[in-house]
This record gives sequence, C-alpha cells and structure tokens, in this order.
Amino acid sequence: MEIVVCVKRVPETAEAEVVIAEDGRSIEERDLVFDINEADNYALEEALLLKEKFGGSVTAVTVGPEKADDVLRMCLAKGADKAIRLTDERFKGSDAYVTALLLYRAIRDLDFDLILTGCMASDDGYTQVGVTLAELLDIPHAVYVKKLEIEGQVAKVHCELEGGLEEVMEVKLPALFTIQTGINEPRYASLLGIRKAMRKEIEVLNLDDLGLGEEEVGESGSKIELRRLFIPPVEKEAEILEGKPEEVSARLVEILKSEGVI
Amino acid sequence: MQIRGELISKCNLLECIQCGKCTGGCPVSLKSALNIRRLIYEVLIRESLDIRGRNELWDCTTCSTCSIRCPKGVEPAEVIVGMRSALVEGGRIQPTIRDVLESTFKYGNPWGGLRSKRAEWAQGLNIKNIAAGDKAEVLYFVGCTPAYDPRVQEVAKALVRAFEKAGVDFGILGEEESCCGNEIRRMGEEGLFEFLMEENSKNFERYGVKRIVTTSPHCYNTFKNEYQGGSWEVQHYTQFIADLIELGKLSFSREVKRIVTYHDPCFLGKQNGVYEEPRRILTSIPGVELVEMSRIKERSLCCEGGGGRMWVEGTNPQERLAELRVREAVSTGAEVIATACPFCLLTLEDAVKTAGYEGKIQVMDIMELLAEAL
Amino acid sequence: MKEILVLVEHRRGEIRDVTFEMLSKGRELAGEMGAELTSALLGYDVGSFAEELSKWADRVLVVEDEKLKDFNAEAYQRVLATLLSKRQPALTLIAHSSFGTDLAPSLAAELGFPLATDCIDLRVEDGELIAVRQMYGGKVNAEVSFRQAPQRMVTVRQGAFPIEEGQRAGQIVAFPSPLTEEIDIKRFIEYVEAAPGEVDITQADIIVAVGRGIKEKENLSLIEELAEALGGVVACSRPIVDAGWLPSDRQVGQSGKTVKPKLYMAIGISGAFQHIIGMKGSDTIVAINKDPNAPIFHVADYGIVGDLFDVVPELIKRLKA
Repeated sequence: MEIVVCVKRVPETAEAEVVIAEDGRSIEERDLVFDINEADNYALEEALLLKEKFGGSVTAVTVGPEKADDVLRMCLAKGADKAIRLTDERFKGSDAYVTALLLYRAIRDLDFDLILTGCMASDDGYTQVGVTLAELLDIPHAVYVKKLEIEGQVAKVHCELEGGLEEVMEVKLPALFTIQTGINEPRYASLLGIRKAMRKEIEVLNLDDLGLGEEEVGESGSKIELRRLFIPPVEKEAEILEGKPEEVSARLVEILKSEGVI
Repeated sequence: MQIRGELISKCNLLECIQCGKCTGGCPVSLKSALNIRRLIYEVLIRESLDIRGRNELWDCTTCSTCSIRCPKGVEPAEVIVGMRSALVEGGRIQPTIRDVLESTFKYGNPWGGLRSKRAEWAQGLNIKNIAAGDKAEVLYFVGCTPAYDPRVQEVAKALVRAFEKAGVDFGILGEEESCCGNEIRRMGEEGLFEFLMEENSKNFERYGVKRIVTTSPHCYNTFKNEYQGGSWEVQHYTQFIADLIELGKLSFSREVKRIVTYHDPCFLGKQNGVYEEPRRILTSIPGVELVEMSRIKERSLCCEGGGGRMWVEGTNPQERLAELRVREAVSTGAEVIATACPFCLLTLEDAVKTAGYEGKIQVMDIMELLAEAL
Repeated sequence: MKEILVLVEHRRGEIRDVTFEMLSKGRELAGEMGAELTSALLGYDVGSFAEELSKWADRVLVVEDEKLKDFNAEAYQRVLATLLSKRQPALTLIAHSSFGTDLAPSLAAELGFPLATDCIDLRVEDGELIAVRQMYGGKVNAEVSFRQAPQRMVTVRQGAFPIEEGQRAGQIVAFPSPLTEEIDIKRFIEYVEAAPGEVDITQADIIVAVGRGIKEKENLSLIEELAEALGGVVACSRPIVDAGWLPSDRQVGQSGKTVKPKLYMAIGISGAFQHIIGMKGSDTIVAINKDPNAPIFHVADYGIVGDLFDVVPELIKRLKA
C-alpha cells in the first residue's frame, strides 16, 4: 500500500501569546515553538499503522521553508520511507488553492493508493487544502475521518459530523482522507531516531521543478487576498475575581449562591 | 531483543548469581509485577526478550536500591533503563511519557510550561540573571518543578530568602535554564538526555559557572554523576545551607515549634550519601524537635516520585508507597514531614490527602521550615 | 440580476440551523449588493422544506433526485457544478460544517471560484466583498478579499450569524437533476450515533467541564469531587476524549454536545471556538484558567485566573461546608 501523507510545520499557539507583526499580515514567530500540525501527526500515525498492516511505503510531503526539515525528519524517524519538501521564496503568500496546486504537482506522478492529511491546520485553519488536492488529482475524498478500514481497493471510513453523530462512507481507492484528531495514539520519535533519519534523503523541489510559472503561485497566483490580521475585539469580559485561592473560591460560592445558581 | 548484548556487558549481568537482594530491596516489588531479578534472568537465558506490553517496567522509580544492594556489582537499575530505552526507540510508549519527552525537547521542561514563563516565579525578587550578563559566584539551578509548579515555587522563594539573608552572591539562568535530564535519562530517552546535557553544559561554560547549587536532588545527582567534562562544582542546597549555618552566616530570629520527621529522598540519600546535612539544618532551627522514623537513611521508603513516576500511574495505583510513608510518619507523633526534594514534596503531600491525614500532618520542604525561622 | 445563493444543509429530515443563519446574512448582503437571494435545495422528497425556505429566499431551486436522498459530497458537487455554472451567482454560501467542508473546496476548485472558509463575518466595502475568518485557534482575525472575482464562494461558521425571521414569499422552482448514473466511487452507508452513556449532559442543570489543564487522567477525580459538591455532572473538551480519559458522550463542543445548563464551569479549558460553540448558551459561565488571555474569559461571566489545583480544592471545601 503506497501512502502519501501531507504534513505541515506550524507554530504552537494554544498557550503562547500571539503577537501580530509590524507588517500587519503575519505574526511574530521568534518566541514560538514549531512542530508538526497536530492533525497531520495523527494522519502520519494512521499511515504508519496501515504500512505495518499491509506493507508498502509512506511518503511525507510538505510545503514549507528549510526549517520544515525538522518535521520531515521526525516523519522519517517514525517510519516514513521518503520525504519531499516544496520550497521556494515565490511560494510566499499562497492561498489554500495554490498550496493544493503545489502539492498536486509534486504528487501527481507518484504511485499512490491513499493520501492522508490532517483535517485542519492549527495556524490558518483553512480546512481546505486536502479536499482541493483531491479534486486536482481527480480522486474521491472524505473528511474528519475518525476510523479507517481498508479492504482491497475499498476504504470504509467513519466521518465525524456534528453533535456526536458519525457517518459511514465507502470510498474507492485511490482516495484522499482528511484525518481528525483522536483516531489513534501517535508514537514517539526519539532524538536518536531523528538523528539517524538525517541520513535519509529529503527531496527538495522548487517552482521550476514543479513546472509552474511565478504568476501561478504566491500572492500573484492566489485568488484570496489577505488584507490584514487583527486581534479579535473583545465582546465580553468576564468579571475576574482576584485574590488567593481561599478568597476567590469563597467569593465565587457567595456569588453563585446569591444568584440562585446553587 | 537487540539490546541484549549491550545490556549484558553494560550492566555486568554475567556476574549475577540470582541471589535476589535486588528484588528483596525493591520498594515497588511489594505491589507490582516488576521483578528485576527475574528480568535479569530472562535477559541472560532468552535469545530474545519481548518487552512490549510489560507495563511493570514503568513502575520502577529508579531509586537504585537494587544496584546499591547488589553484592556482585551488577546494575539492575540500568537494566530497566536499558529496556525502557528500547521501548522509547521503538516509539511505543505511554502517551503521558511521550508528551513529557516531547515537552522537554520543545520547551525545556516536562510540564509543558512556556520557556518565557520559566523565571516568572522570581518576578519582583530582583535576582541576578547570569544569562543576561550579571556576574555571580554561585549559580542557583532552580529546576523545572520548582520553576513551574506553584507549590514548589515556595521552596525556591524560601531558598532565595536564605541566600539573601546569608549574603550569598548568587544568580539564576532564567529562561535559559533547561531540564537537567535526570528523569529523561531514566525514562530511557538517552538522545534527549545528551541533548540536554550539551545545552546545560554549554551554558555553564558560556557564563563562567564555577559553583552550582540545586533545589532538587535529581538535578544534583545527574550533574554530579552523569554530566561529563565540567569544571564546575555542584552541591545540593542542603549541603550548601548546612555549610552556611556552620559558618555562622545564617541566624534565626524566630522559633519554629514543630515536631518534625525527615524523609530521606532516594536521590539525595541512598544514591549520594547525603544524610547528615539535612538533619543538621533541621536541628539548628530553633524550636524544631526532630523525631526519626525507623525506615530512614539507606532504608528510606521511596515515595514513588522518581524515574518518570510523576507522569506514570503505575500498574497498581491503589497501593501507594507514599501513603505507607505518611502513616509511618504519623506514627512517630510528628506534625510535619520534612523533605528536600520537589518530587517527594508533591507525592507525600498528595498522599497525606488520599490517605485521609489532611489537617493532621503537613509536608514541608526543609527550606520552608528554615524560612519561617529567619 | 445579481444572485446570492445559499446551499441548504439538511440531515435526517431536518433543515439545520446554519441554513437559516446563512439565509439571514444572505438577505442582508443581498440588500447591500442589490442582489436576489436564492436557496438551493438538493434532496429527495423535500417538498416541505421548499415551503419553509420560500419564507426566507426570493427563490428556492429544488433539485429532486433519489440519488440525493442522503448527503453525498460527490453527488452534490456534480449537481452544483452544473447549477452554479448556469446561474453564475455573485456569492455562494455553504455551511462550514462537516458536509460543507467535504464539498466546498472541491466544488470551488472545479469551478475556479475563489473560496474563503470558516467565515465569521461578511460585508461589502466599496463594492468589494470582504470576509473575516479566524486563525491561530481564534486568537487572530483575518480580513480577506476575493480580488474582484465575479463569482465567489464562502463557507460560513455555524452559529456566527443570528437567525432573522423569514418573511418572504419566494418562488419555488424545480431545477432538473443532471445526475445520470449511480455514484459508486463514494457511497453513503449509514449514520452512527455516539453510544449512549450513563449520563446525558444535555439534561444537566450544572456542568463542570474539564480541559487540557487537568494534565493527567488521575486528576479527574478532583473534578468529579467538584461536580459532586455542586450537584452537577462532569463534561469535557475534545482533547480529554482524544486521550481516552472520558467517553465521547461527555464532550461539549461542535463535534460533541451543545449544552445550556444553569451553571457551566470551565476548568482548565482555553476556550477554542469549537468548544465555546457548544456551551455559550449557558446561563452562568465560570472559568478557571492559568492563562489570563485564554479566550474562555471572553465568554464567561466570572473568571478566576489561577491554578485549578489550588482553586478547585478550596471551592470543594467551601461547598461542602
């Protein structure tokens, strides 16, 4: 089973402070820690589990700067066989469609049965690249996959809907699935393992290698234009109770009792 | 199992006579399927050993009682670490361990705390920052748990008060301090341990560090015994403070009238032989009455905080050794269990609650008692 | 006449709320853009839906086909590719739901329409359509435009727009289904409900929800104690279910349950919008979190910035007193 996994290097912003950069269209990256996008990590694990079950190979592909090699080496350390990085200054400012186009160019000539990627990137949150890629490759797809079973050339997927509901679909391979977190338990890649993976080659492709023109990528090739980033206006502010734990908890109980909540 | 050959030579397994002194002294063998004597037997006899699914391997607290008791110079504790290493390299470890290792690599601490918040505990205390250019004679290596855990931050603050009272010229590394790696190594992530060792050693070099004092016996242990090629001297704070008291640099103005029993942390006591200094500190605090439990010094009962156990439930969470220890302390008539290790502090304090002794006995770090007397 | 088209999302015999949210916003935009509001309804035996929708839209295009009985993005795409090519709407709105995410990106790519996803606001500025969407887990808003494209598509966040009363009397027009053969590359098999647990959190008056801040599974007992002291039930955010610490029927949020209890305590929950969407309707919301910038404080009535391991035990003490 030949599997391609699309991964992305993203900053971890859940706990960290996010500051908008001076240009107003990006964020300050200096103090942020970068790692593989969480959902992509689950997609990678799913691919590795399928490889363990069916044999074959796993290829990790990313669109990103040279630093994205950290993520690719981690994928290789965990068991991916090949890694491809698409890097070019001219890719900067690409919207979701263009990103999918870049991946399409790199992947279309590969031999694959399955493409897996995370359902959403935690930085831009587009939730778009995977499905667009499937369309460009002319293969069927499904999203928010929580369970994936393969029998022959057919995949049976459980897709997460809203409110705890799931739908079961049958999809013919080759297909692309966007993977939801929680589908499996990702393994660990040790530092030694990642160092050993440095011996494996990472294929780097640029704009010319992909056979695209400058006007087809980056800001000029994008149909969606990012005008500006801004901190969301605060609609409501909670009344913050101040003081030591003993004090705030007493105050809270007082408030809840007086409001008839408890 | 590929590492079999390595384990046999690294841990002198061929010397093993299967006497069982190791398992006989292993604190967790009371409640776990972990049997280190038998594991060594299996490694020696079997061509290949499947350790996957052997969750009892993670019950080990690396207290090293086994290695200390062994009459033949075998290192049973290292056998466990070696097996864990194989599991770590294979990637198949418990999610909590995985998260701790990833956090330590990315953030420099196992708690997922942002690096930018590592020195937040010191805000307003005007402590010299050696990494920011300040010069100081002594590096106070705070450690991850005292830096990020609110309960243990009190210990760091108490130490700082004592340093200042005694006129010690000290500084911290602030945000540039990274995990010492003691637990990391014992969880089997040798590569990450070496990475941390390099980072910290580079920092010590770069900032001309000559003397280090640590809050945690775990940091002390690895700096003293496992870090290579350093030209610095390291002490646990109990040694440093005991010296200060002896030199008359610390004086007490208040009485702390408490009956105190002291719990010897494994990494300070049985592994590094520091038994007297903590006791000297306690007895020098006016008002403190020191009563001893029977399992003290080399025989101290491990609290199950070391060896990664802060992040692993263990196969038998119902029977906690820390609860046994608390009961033992209560039976001495003590009001306070004093200790000198962040993990012992947290585990014993937790055990006081779960064993139902809240309000009857208190767990405090030696420095907290000392600070009360300043 | 310019057209704004809203794709109706329905499932198991019900039109989902997000449809009416989109129609409400669509009505507003239609006014601003001097356009008509059309809704596209795909399905099988959906006549009654059309009646309802005609109160909201100027036109309801109904595509009836047995092959559209259950939602299938492949089938929807084939129909909509034809329909949208024909009608060339200035703006198409699709829900940013699981269905919408399955459909919109490939549909937009096929038609060459620019697509902005998960929009929380839409407005017309100097004749240009501007969309606002979020990034970095809701910490940053982004304003995007469509470079004056004549046809644009957006997916709209569920719950972003209020529902205005539908007071039109639109035309119901049949649109012939272009589907000829069975679609076998992707087939709908069935729906699966989450296994019912012992507790239905949607019925609880008091909910104590826990998030990543709890750090370890064994710390859940602290939360259980608090819930007990308050007379409530324990719920959680997604990461807790992903880690297997609580069953999925306890999950509050977009892909979990929506709850509206008298009291919702969010403990160690940062407040990512996928979670907030499931609990913002609660009467009183109290949040306890170490991070003063956590988005949960923008939705809570009362907040405590502190370590839950210090505050919760104190709370329990006082409640039990």
